[in-house]
Amino acid sequence: MSDKSEDKENATIKIYNQKHNSLKNKMGMRPQTNEDGHINPDHIEEAEGLVLEICKTGEDAIGKTLEILSNVWNEMQTLPSSPQRQEKSEEIFTLAHEIKDIGSLCGYTLSAYFAESLRDYIAETALNLKNQKIIIQAHIDAMNAVHKAGIKEDAGPAAEELKTMVKVAIEKYR
Amino acid sequence: MSSMLRVFGVGDILMCSSSKEAIELLTVTQARTKSRYINSVDIILTDWLMPNGSGRDLLEWVREHKNDSIRFIPVIVVSGYTSEKVTNETRDLGANETLVKPVSGNGLASRICNVIDTPRPFVQTPNFFGPDRRRQELQYTGIERRITTHVIVEKEI
Repeated sequence: MSDKSEDKENATIKIYNQKHNSLKNKMGMRPQTNEDGHINPDHIEEAEGLVLEICKTGEDAIGKTLEILSNVWNEMQTLPSSPQRQEKSEEIFTLAHEIKDIGSLCGYTLSAYFAESLRDYIAETALNLKNQKIIIQAHIDAMNAVHKAGIKEDAGPAAEELKTMVKVAIEKYR
Repeated sequence: MSSMLRVFGVGDILMCSSSKEAIELLTVTQARTKSRYINSVDIILTDWLMPNGSGRDLLEWVREHKNDSIRFIPVIVVSGYTSEKVTNETRDLGANETLVKPVSGNGLASRICNVIDTPRPFVQTPNFFGPDRRRQELQYTGIERRITTHVIVEKEI
């Protein structure tokens, strides 16, 4: 009997309904009216314009971030202790993530592809084996080549060749 | 994204570089101090993948928090992953909305409006706490066999 009441207690579902929509209140709307809030369409258009504005310097931003990433990678290879290496590895992860974001936002899809691959690889490895270094270096080399050649799209013979190069490195040295 | 939010006129925007930093900030801002200088956070927008603690860590921390002013905060997860697995995971951890990167002005505006205009009730079950995962009201006409009991709580969220 007690088991049953315990089961029932465990199976209780609480549903929390909002008394007042405080966010709507903050936007200056009366919650009772159920009036939908909206963001001014002009502001949305302006926000879209911001993306275009950011992307005007997208290539430069990728280049600069890539340069920092390469430097951090070079520093990381000289570090013997693992806490310091861990810190650098997190920096590389963030920088790769940034390149991926700028790349996918601004249409530099090939840079985004390699940056994402590098970021995901770093997330799953300790980066202390020689083979892992080769894989990281292959990613950085590929991203540098893409940037220098001004390749944007994730398709075409040059893109495929670079992707194959990195894929081979991953398969051989993983 | 912060520039877009500024254009929308959402007010103060606090930015953190990791979930660890966000947790520290939320702990201070949501403490409900009497200070006139600290505003509480209304909506959290978090990247899914971050160094030093992921968006997952942040979302779990928020939804498992004992303080109501933290655990009920609407959370919009921004993710570069488009897979169903990630979308389901964010939903099951209690995210209000998921926004896929690259973020557009329209996408961001619609998620924010969803959170403000159509706030779903929060549901607490033994295994879940977060906004109701059902977005549709479907009428069930069969025999009621559920053993669960519902307690409706009216709350200032």
